[in-house]
Amino acid sequence: MRARAHLRVERDGAGRHVVRELRSAAPLTLLPARTNGTALVHLVSSAATPLGGDDLALTVEVGPHAELTLVGVAATVALPGPHGAPSRSSVRLTLAPGASVAYLPEPTVVTGRACHESVLVAELAGNATLRAREVLVLGRVGERPGTLTTAVTASRDARPLVRQHLRVGDRELDASVASLAGKRVLATELYLDGSTPAAASGEWWSCTPLAAGGTLTTALADDAVTAVRRLGLAAAARG
Amino acid sequence: MSVLALMLADSRFPGGGHAHSGGLEEAAARGLVRTEADLPAFLSGRLRTAGVLAAVFAAAAAHSAAGRVDNWSTLDEELDARTPSSAQRSASRAQGRATARAAAAMAVPSVDNVCGSTLRVLLAATPRPHHAIVLGAVIASPPDAALVAAYLSVSGPASASVRLLGLDPLRVNGSLAALEPLLRSVAADAAASAALDPAALPAPGAPALDLLAEEHDRHHREEVRLFAS
Amino acid sequence: MSFDPTAAEPDRHAAPPAAGRPLRIGVGGPVGSGKTALVAALCRALADLELAVVTNDIYTTEDAEFLRRAGVLDPARIEAVQTGCCPHTAIRDDITANLDAVEALAERFPALRLVIIESGGDNLTAVFSRGLVDHQIFVVDVAGGDKVPRKGGPGVTTADLLVINKTDLAPLVGADLDVMSGDAHRVRGGLPVVLQSLVDTPGAPAVAEWVRARLAAVTTG
Repeated sequence: MRARAHLRVERDGAGRHVVRELRSAAPLTLLPARTNGTALVHLVSSAATPLGGDDLALTVEVGPHAELTLVGVAATVALPGPHGAPSRSSVRLTLAPGASVAYLPEPTVVTGRACHESVLVAELAGNATLRAREVLVLGRVGERPGTLTTAVTASRDARPLVRQHLRVGDRELDASVASLAGKRVLATELYLDGSTPAAASGEWWSCTPLAAGGTLTTALADDAVTAVRRLGLAAAARG
Repeated sequence: MSVLALMLADSRFPGGGHAHSGGLEEAAARGLVRTEADLPAFLSGRLRTAGVLAAVFAAAAAHSAAGRVDNWSTLDEELDARTPSSAQRSASRAQGRATARAAAAMAVPSVDNVCGSTLRVLLAATPRPHHAIVLGAVIASPPDAALVAAYLSVSGPASASVRLLGLDPLRVNGSLAALEPLLRSVAADAAASAALDPAALPAPGAPALDLLAEEHDRHHREEVRLFAS
Repeated sequence: MSFDPTAAEPDRHAAPPAAGRPLRIGVGGPVGSGKTALVAALCRALADLELAVVTNDIYTTEDAEFLRRAGVLDPARIEAVQTGCCPHTAIRDDITANLDAVEALAERFPALRLVIIESGGDNLTAVFSRGLVDHQIFVVDVAGGDKVPRKGGPGVTTADLLVINKTDLAPLVGADLDVMSGDAHRVRGGLPVVLQSLVDTPGAPAVAEWVRARLAAVTTG
């Protein structure tokens, strides 16, 4: 399945954050919700995806000083396809100066024998701010995960803020103290707001200032609830 | 491999490496590495993440040095973007600064023409350069620089394990030797990517290692730690 | 007998520091000999000077904390160096981290005249590299036994100043100060020796005076 969905949000003359363009493409369904403040859009997966062979792409453009909250509704469960082909999903966020986006998808579960690639590209301009969360779950309960590669790239005015690639599903690497230390869930949260708060950390979580401004919070845990709770500890420490 | 590259890979090279455990101290403090049996997995995991990143940037920097390309600021910010942990960045820059200082004193006629002038340009662009970039700038051969960077990413922690945990140095050395095929393939892959646009260079993450580095740094401020990283 | 290559020809006339950089004086010696207490005393005694301290103990943070708590120095004037379980490596074989720390202090305090570098506690063979310090003080104490000076070793034989510390304890530990002093002078071939007790003279006046003389030599030299 190949799908190309698109979303464009702008701030109108009256100061409202409005969805100007919204193009769903099965299985990527975008549902705008009514709010008084920021534009809120739900991302709903309308089929069992991604399956091996799927190629799903969402592009999001946010205009000057517009605000968007893009939230997932259910976990993404990466499943193997009939012919062992890899699946791919990509999200590209383009933020104009002053734009503010919170991208909060639900966890991605890498099931056994799945082979999935997830790409997030964020291009920020000027003082745009982005908060992006990612929760990766290695396999359903009691299941060994397939393989997942993630690539996160963010830049501001074409200068790199963060570039991180991760490979999950290699037993030795997953177990190693270097990569996932044997934990089943990795949760990360990027805050790209130009701030540089002091580093904070606790057992199995850290919030560290990036070189070019903003922070990356990382939490490892044996389950998603604990991982997200650790993200919360980091957010509290971040202030 | 050049003599200069061998010198940089030597654990006696006065480039600041002895004070860095590459996460081993924090892993040991948490009981994640206790004995010689725990070491191979720690080392290979480190090599496949932080080691790959170091090898990639050492090779890219060597490519720039060999071709007299002044893209040091670009390489610096690209490596920064691939090193989200501030503790890891400062450890890398501390070792880079120390290595540059030691290399600058190696005014060997055969290498000085390239290495000396490259170092000057590098240090003018980035006074506290990343360790991997200094290695590449000095060695100026992508395959050699990548192999040295990959090797140092594991030899330092291996040596730290001997000093910190009293592990058997002979068995620890055996674990290092066992990494030879992996070291070769990491270095070959890094050399193959050396000519890429810096933005397109690989960016392997090491979430747990970064997390341990941040915790190590915090413990430093609150209690005793023997290594700088 | 000393196996230290510099012991045969100790460089007793090292060139003065290049103009514009602070004088660097190392304080070394075995664990517990009183290095940190001496450094604290010097900070108080030389408070009129622009000075800073680099600590190197394996328990670096503790030493730095001791100095901070003692309130003898603005915390910004103390830099701590981690030595990776090898205190002698950091002052002798790979001095880069210490050089970085000294430079960081000199950048922070442009008028800095003196940096005292305190080594981690080590054994009698641990000396500072001449690439790191202009002069070095080696501190031993009477509680370590009155045979220590006779044993020699590069620290005792070649340091620019040998301090025999905690002399007030000599009667308690049965150490003969005359033996220690005599042995020290004999193995050091004319290099100065100071016997002191920070209990009796908390300001370490003899050492402070020696340090001032080294500084004066820079200024006039």
